[in-house]
Amino acid sequence: MTPSAGLGLKSQHYGDAIACDAEGLWFEVHPENYMSAGGPRLAALEAVRARRPVSLHGVGLSLAADTDPDPEHLQALKRLVDRFDPFVVSEHLAWSTHRGAHHPDLLPFPRTRAALDRICGNVARMQDALQRRVLIENPSLYLPLKGHTLNEVDFLEALATRTGCGLLVDVNNVFVSAQNLGYAPETYLDALPAHAIGEIHLAGHAPDPGGSNLLIDTHGAPVAEVVWTLYARLIARIGPRPTLIERDDDIPDFAALMAERNRAVAVLASSQTAREPAHV
Amino acid sequence: MSELLAFQDAFVAALAGEDERLSPWCAGHDAPRGLGVYRNTIAKGCVDALAENFPTVRALVGEEWFTGAALLFSQQSPPTHAALLDYGADFPSWLERFPPAGELPYLAGVAHLDRLWIEALFAAEAPHLQAATLSSLSSGALAAARLDPHPSLRMATFDAGLPGLWLAARAGDETLELSEAPQTLMLIRRAGSVTSRLLGEAEAAFLRAVRHGEPLGVAAEHAAEADRETPIATLFASLIADGVFTNLDLETQP
Repeated sequence: MTPSAGLGLKSQHYGDAIACDAEGLWFEVHPENYMSAGGPRLAALEAVRARRPVSLHGVGLSLAADTDPDPEHLQALKRLVDRFDPFVVSEHLAWSTHRGAHHPDLLPFPRTRAALDRICGNVARMQDALQRRVLIENPSLYLPLKGHTLNEVDFLEALATRTGCGLLVDVNNVFVSAQNLGYAPETYLDALPAHAIGEIHLAGHAPDPGGSNLLIDTHGAPVAEVVWTLYARLIARIGPRPTLIERDDDIPDFAALMAERNRAVAVLASSQTAREPAHV
Repeated sequence: MSELLAFQDAFVAALAGEDERLSPWCAGHDAPRGLGVYRNTIAKGCVDALAENFPTVRALVGEEWFTGAALLFSQQSPPTHAALLDYGADFPSWLERFPPAGELPYLAGVAHLDRLWIEALFAAEAPHLQAATLSSLSSGALAAARLDPHPSLRMATFDAGLPGLWLAARAGDETLELSEAPQTLMLIRRAGSVTSRLLGEAEAAFLRAVRHGEPLGVAAEHAAEADRETPIATLFASLIADGVFTNLDLETQP
């Protein structure tokens, strides 16, 4: 089965996920939620994996920290990769660990040449430990930092060129960051190297309830129309890629998520049709 | 020190309230609102993980009290790794020292039992010993054999009846009473679900001896000393039915 559009797997939907027979459907999980010795979550993921492709999307390896990735975390990730044979393994261009503490968020950094060297080393360590290529995702940003020497697209492209990693493009993150930091999301998307893109994320966002005028990548709402438009633009340029609907808060029933997922399937299918040579 | 580490140091200090530490990297008026988003996300990540791992504590004290305590705890004792399903191992002992919990002397014990429930849920897989395995053994061989507890087995004994209060709270009972008598709670995972029940004194003594590696015969003596009324065969059969044991090691030495 070729993975088309998938869903983030939520524990309340395990039964629906196992029963659903949609063509091309796949599921993504955060491996950190499955890093236990045993228990029902692992058993449920095993049952889903028996029927569907699965992707492991890490949120805690902290590749943009100024330290090597935690070897215990890498070992736990390798055990999950060996057990579930995911079709994609991904992580973020961000950090969360600092001097022994883990801050559960995806934190920013100044994109300098030295940071690029450090993060290339960390991505290489991840790929060596897992013995496979990984995808790296663009973060959502909330703070305009001084001291960047590379823009984010150039940074990601250099990372992909030097380490052989691919890119996971979160279109919602592109939109949220562009709004918060003041640039055009279209320019960003159009500049991404098509050949490096291995997966796409779509999610919902919301205005900061704190009244800061920032947009927050909440994963707590349906994908916004403006993000669908950007997604269609990207897919029209690069062709179909496995696409994930992410929802982590205010989670609706499975059918509502499948409706969003099917909309992504339609976008992917239209791009495929447009690219196929006409029969004569 | 690398510039990246200097930035991380400054960012973490700014998260903790020293916004000015970020000034080399961030224009002053932009810092507070952006930092607020990161602070909120980190706080939500920690509080949500603690709420998931300590549901009985949260049910007893209410969401507002719990969130306040969880926020303070997460600032003083942030997660040490990314797998938050394991976060909060030291939350029970922290609650014991948390002054506002002084009026709720049972709270740390409730947190301890919530923690044991999580440990049981995520413990390693292992088969459960079947009663049929024992049917062919002589009584001598049985007395010399040692039992391996299931990896998910957890036990806790309290001088007052805190486990009963915890069980009632988990069941959603409105009226919670703390009985005067000591109680031992046992938790075990079977078929993916954690079950828990109070143990009789004989059962508790028997299981403590098993966990100390004593042979079955010695564990049976401990049980009899604790309570002469409970027949050992019945006690053993009901613990096997609970799925408490994973394996039986027969004594191979003469």
